[in-house]
Amino acid sequence: MSVVSELRGMGGKKRGKRQPSAMRKGDGKAAAIFLAPWFIGLFLITAGPMIASAYLSFTDYSLLAPPEWIGFDNYTRMFEDPRLINSLKVTFLYVFISVPLQLAMALALALVLDRGLRGLPIYRSIYYLPSLLGGSVAIALLWRQVFGADGLVNSVLSVFGIEGEGWVSHPDYALGTLMVLNVWTFGAPMIIFLAGLRQIPQMYYEAASIDGAGKWRQFRSVTIPLLTPIIFFNLILQLIGAFQTFTQAYVVSGGTGGPADSTMFYTLYLYQKGFASLDMGYASAMAWLLLAIIAGMTAVNFLASKYWVFYND
Amino acid sequence: MTDSAVRNDAPPSKPTLTEVAERYPEPSGKPSQWRGRTRSILKHAALIGFGLVMLYPLLWMISSSFKPDAIIFREPGLIPTEFTWDNYTDGWNALLHPFDHYLLNSAIIVFGSLIGNLVSCSMAAYAFARLEFRGRNLWFAIMLMSIMLPIHVIIVPQYILFSSLDWINTFLPLIVPKLLATDAFFIFLMVQFFRGIPRELDEAARLDGCGHGRIYFKIMLPLSLPALATTAIFTFIWTWNDFFSQLIFLTRPDMYTVPVALRTFIDATSESSWGSLFAMSIVSLIPIFLVFLFGQKYLVKGIATTGLK
Amino acid sequence: MITSMRKRTMWRAGAVLAAGALALAACSSDSGSDDPSDEPTDGGTDSGSGEQVEIRFSWWGSDERHTLTQEVIDLFMEENPDISVVADFTDWGGYWDKLATTVAGGDTPDVMTQEERYLTDYANRGVVADMSTLDIDTSMIDPSVLQSGTIGGQLAGIATGINAYAIVADPQMFEDAGVEMPDDTTWTWDDFKEIAAQISDALGDGVYGVQDYGGNEAGFNIYARQQGESLYTEDGTLGYSDETLAQWWQDLVDLRESGAMPDGARSVEIAEGGPEQSLLGTNTGAMGMWWTNQLGAISSAAGRDLVLLRLPGESEHERTGMYFKPAMFYSISAETEHPEAAAKFVDFLVNSPEAGALILSDRGLNINTAVREAVSGQLDPLEVQAAEFLAELESEIVDGPPAPPTGAADVPEITGRINQEVLFDTMSPADAAAQFTSEAGAAIGQ
Repeated sequence: MSVVSELRGMGGKKRGKRQPSAMRKGDGKAAAIFLAPWFIGLFLITAGPMIASAYLSFTDYSLLAPPEWIGFDNYTRMFEDPRLINSLKVTFLYVFISVPLQLAMALALALVLDRGLRGLPIYRSIYYLPSLLGGSVAIALLWRQVFGADGLVNSVLSVFGIEGEGWVSHPDYALGTLMVLNVWTFGAPMIIFLAGLRQIPQMYYEAASIDGAGKWRQFRSVTIPLLTPIIFFNLILQLIGAFQTFTQAYVVSGGTGGPADSTMFYTLYLYQKGFASLDMGYASAMAWLLLAIIAGMTAVNFLASKYWVFYND
Repeated sequence: MTDSAVRNDAPPSKPTLTEVAERYPEPSGKPSQWRGRTRSILKHAALIGFGLVMLYPLLWMISSSFKPDAIIFREPGLIPTEFTWDNYTDGWNALLHPFDHYLLNSAIIVFGSLIGNLVSCSMAAYAFARLEFRGRNLWFAIMLMSIMLPIHVIIVPQYILFSSLDWINTFLPLIVPKLLATDAFFIFLMVQFFRGIPRELDEAARLDGCGHGRIYFKIMLPLSLPALATTAIFTFIWTWNDFFSQLIFLTRPDMYTVPVALRTFIDATSESSWGSLFAMSIVSLIPIFLVFLFGQKYLVKGIATTGLK
Repeated sequence: MITSMRKRTMWRAGAVLAAGALALAACSSDSGSDDPSDEPTDGGTDSGSGEQVEIRFSWWGSDERHTLTQEVIDLFMEENPDISVVADFTDWGGYWDKLATTVAGGDTPDVMTQEERYLTDYANRGVVADMSTLDIDTSMIDPSVLQSGTIGGQLAGIATGINAYAIVADPQMFEDAGVEMPDDTTWTWDDFKEIAAQISDALGDGVYGVQDYGGNEAGFNIYARQQGESLYTEDGTLGYSDETLAQWWQDLVDLRESGAMPDGARSVEIAEGGPEQSLLGTNTGAMGMWWTNQLGAISSAAGRDLVLLRLPGESEHERTGMYFKPAMFYSISAETEHPEAAAKFVDFLVNSPEAGALILSDRGLNINTAVREAVSGQLDPLEVQAAEFLAELESEIVDGPPAPPTGAADVPEITGRINQEVLFDTMSPADAAAQFTSEAGAAIGQ
């Protein structure tokens, strides 16, 4: 409360000063106040464990005994680990296919469920339901009911006389079913898109329609450009999330990343190394390689965003 | 080209607050012709059909939760041949505490996280979106980096940290970080939304003599209700479903939360109570479903429908 | 303004170092002490003095085990009002993550449940105490079983009970198929393959003779032992020939090709489903390989009583291969502040007839022979069957396999994965054997 009144007071004092430079001067102080909780969290809670994991990546650490410094050994081992290379392949394939698909699905449904139809709240809730299940242990069974050897998909296929595979547990298709699972849980980006659509001032549409723009033109010239910050946000977040995909693969494959490593995601392998093989030093090194990869991809996207993301400010 | 068309129509640079408010009328547009009606019926049909496909796994789970344990896998069809409430009554009481105990524990953590994320993340987001300070881009990059390391390598040092603070077995390790905006995801989310709010509103507020505190409270927060609602809903759902950190930080059964309790129904090495697991999973879905159902009206209360006062 | 900004930056830098240092210091100092053997004996003057002590007991399992274990705890606390035991339980997967993390954080549970494949890791790193120095009565435990928890000369864990890896068969299926139940003391691996094929042929689509069993190294260990080899040697190296392992996987390929076993995708799907979704559990198969304490779970899933059979080949080669495996171990933390209370609790778990009457065969057939006899009347028919099966085996078993070496925790995962390569024909049995030897060898540092 006191912060609030102080801030209010601060605002009061600024009355009359309009020059941008004057405002900017106050910005530093205000930023310190607004960022205070985050700074405290960063330094007290986030940074320590991150630094610790960086340190551990240079050690042999079994969790059960104190870490021992081994220099770059973990990092050099990574390049000779065929299963790590495989897990990178699996992860990249997954990221590049399922993220765009999921975003397209989420955007399409957000547009359909935005307005102009009765019962939209119900539809939105229903379409969001799968995402609520998230990483529930039940997902493993549900997915087998759909993509298993005797699952729904094969029952439908058998109507057409096609004998399907046991998709979920076949090395050639298991990853595909996880991609479908990811697309199926499009609820989170859809919600963000929905919120973003509502953030677009109506006046822009009116202005556009006065200019004689039809629905499609309005979509292209108002909706999409004004939604780009949200599209960008979703892209970055889904990218970061997809590179770290763990729960779904863990649950569906029973923690094995199988069959035969076909769904062995990078983070799942990292987890296995850290907790099952008790090689947390190696897992930490893997984590920092992942961070480098994700940070690189994110940086590229931020650079590219200058050319397609439109901010109102 | 299209952008500039829009921009040409944008209001002059320094309007007052009230002038801006008047520019946002209520949305209009009801399809009035019968052609619109057939179209909407078709739309409904498509939405329902697609919805059923989407919901099949969930329906199977609901149906299984009413089957006796023994036949869940022997008769995996959607329609139960035998119907029983046992899974619900057994599941509710199967663990050391009745299930409402775990629901309550989860609710406490969710409530704390909700407050934490809404307040601390929106504050940080305001700074990143609207204030100019030294090293802003660097701090922003650091913020994003903090969500790029997988939890599995962070959790052990975190455990050591919280253990040295004597926080293990309390809800503190699960709530305090949220109060300190460690969920950078939501900061980024709100930054994007804040940046979508026309800057002329701030400028107008400044003309009216508002400081950053007032701009944040009176303009940013009300105008980004959808973002706040998104944050609230996601925080609720993700905290409700978060298994790993709750498993690690809570060791006493009376502190267990819903996801941790649900895991204790099954075990890969011995007999599992699938029926109870399904039944209690559904029970635990109900609160989040309701939150979503009622919370979403704020999601869609965008700038277009919110008046300024 | 600028100076205050700089000050803040300095302070933050300090905080980073502090937080980091805090975490690191705890990493290296709190976790496992280097000399566990002398810890427990001098630490505990507390219990017995009437002062209230609290110990934590952690285990894995599902709701039934949680409930009955809590009853045992309550009983213990009634008898020992000065000791309060706090339960800490979760499922198998979560258990090991949590245990390793708490050990790293210096919060090792005072009493924990261990498993063969991890016990060596925990023992060799000094996490668990040498229980022979504690006041636990082990006189009623079979010395060979007690030996299974002895690592590096220290009693790292006391077995909770014993299991054997066996064939579980559904007599109803045999009858439906018109196939006679085999004599399990004499049947050979070829008999086994033939019987499985006959059942598949007789019962038609969707019903199989046997479920894939290649993903559990216990079966191979028995197979190797029958031929005078073994999975691990006493020296902690691999003790089989690649030809034996290749032949083991060749049998599985033959079974799959004859239709006696489901194809790869179906096999993987079934294997992940546990007892409830197994072929036997869903009445779609006649045989599978399981641990004897899983008989009850599979039977209740199947809705009918199943029977235990010896693995094939027990009289085919040089010797018998079947062995007793400790189902789990009770271990005590090397760093517990209350070693005497912890020991008292373990002693109660192992020796108390009342505890035994609650646990029954949930943690394997009780290793305490006195308790086993005392509770035999309370076992249900399936548990009696398992107990009798194990009793019959006792005279046939030549020896117990040595405790798995450090790093053996990875071997089940390697076995499962390479078995899948065989199931999907992406590796020939010979290549799979070579790959397994190279990976398992690397895991145990051979």
